[in-house]
Amino acid sequence: MDKTTHFGFKQVDVEKKQGLVKGVFDSVAGKYDLMNDVMSMGTHRLWKNYTISSSNVSEGDHVLDIAGGTGDLAIKFRKKVGDSGKVILSDINGSMLNEGRKNLLNHGIIDVDFVQANAESLPFEDNTFDCVSIAFGLRNVTNKDVALQQMYRVLKKGGTLLVLEFSKVENEMLKKIYDLYSFNVIPKFGEFFANDEDSYQYLAESIRKHPDQETLKSMALDAGFGFCEYHNLTGGIVALHKAIKT
Amino acid sequence: MFRLAIERALNHMINVNSINIDRLDNSLVSLYVDDIDLKLFFLCLNSRIFVIENSEQKEANVDITLNKKAFLSLFKGASFEDLIESEDIEINGSIKTAQQLADLFALSSIDIEELISQYTGDVIAHQIGRTIDRIKDSSTQDKDSLIESLKNEFTTLLIAPSRSKFFKKRAS
Ligand SMILES: C[S@@+](CC[C@H](N)C(=O)[O-])C[C@H]1O[C@@H](n2cnc3c(N)ncnc32)[C@H](O)[C@@H]1O
Repeated sequence: MDKTTHFGFKQVDVEKKQGLVKGVFDSVAGKYDLMNDVMSMGTHRLWKNYTISSSNVSEGDHVLDIAGGTGDLAIKFRKKVGDSGKVILSDINGSMLNEGRKNLLNHGIIDVDFVQANAESLPFEDNTFDCVSIAFGLRNVTNKDVALQQMYRVLKKGGTLLVLEFSKVENEMLKKIYDLYSFNVIPKFGEFFANDEDSYQYLAESIRKHPDQETLKSMALDAGFGFCEYHNLTGGIVALHKAIKT
Repeated sequence: MFRLAIERALNHMINVNSINIDRLDNSLVSLYVDDIDLKLFFLCLNSRIFVIENSEQKEANVDITLNKKAFLSLFKGASFEDLIESEDIEINGSIKTAQQLADLFALSSIDIEELISQYTGDVIAHQIGRTIDRIKDSSTQDKDSLIESLKNEFTTLLIAPSRSKFFKKRAS
């Protein structure tokens, strides 16, 4: 029996999605940080700061940043956990990890570990981390339920999962402006700045296919988390889900 | 924001003072401030406290209902027995757990009045401005990095002025 899933607005074979996503991030890796700033007009930094503020991470903690890409969160977590803590930046994509490595070095950080891994099969022991984060990564994962179960598994009891992801805008007016921006402006920016309209078209489409706030909350609870709450940021363009392993 | 500010302040205090909260481990305290309709759940796990909005998933070990005056006085170290006597507070469940949490409130030096006024509608921008001004005026060595860190972590701004006193101490 053929099983399909979405890749942006297209339906593709389940086994093919991961390769297609890899193609997107291989293609955008070099321009990723620039494009993030351009597309979000710098707002992604505020969303990430809010995520760190909400993390309940303190000195000595062990943190895993999944789909960590160029390492924005890893850099901030490293500051929080101090020398006695540990931060691991993991991503499925070698090109993105390379960009992350360079970025961390530019920040003078040499003691973050890099692990190439699929969120659906994390190569870590059970009950290892005080915090697991995934920012703008979950929507690219083929089997989100499996990935959430893995995150639950590697967290310690009392550990926190933070999922920062594009979500559903509730205000109709904002939704219209946002749609216009996502489907007309973002791909053009992609073409102009990165010579890659298709990848940015995918990024805009994948946001619309991602589960909404309440659905993602239910998925986290189904994965085993005892509590899950979310906070809408910028009118729900982005939501931060915070789940606790009890 | 309100919950996050309390969560951060409590955990900060626990870390800085290396307070052992193991005896509270796994407990969930429900707290309802009835006259301002503020409901908070305090979950203690992994040597830290989570302040959450609702707890459909777990039953609280203790339910505390109190008025705003009593809530404020808990942060000033008011004795639980006095509050119970004055009927400003109602407790269902483990009084010991409630007392242990209240002890943490008292130690935390959170400026709860400031936070409550935020919660009940004061303009956050006003507070941010005041906090930054206050720190700008202070004569600390790393004033600039202090202001930068405050700007970056905006929730910190809600915990004033006791939190900024702490920063001053650390910076000097
Ligand atoms: C939009 S980027 C986000 C990067 C970074 N977290 C940030 O917020 O800037 C998405 C990342 O997810 C990674 N990714 C996609 N599918 C993944 C999977 N199945 N497991 C782990 N990482 C994945 C991509 O390689 C890419 O680096």
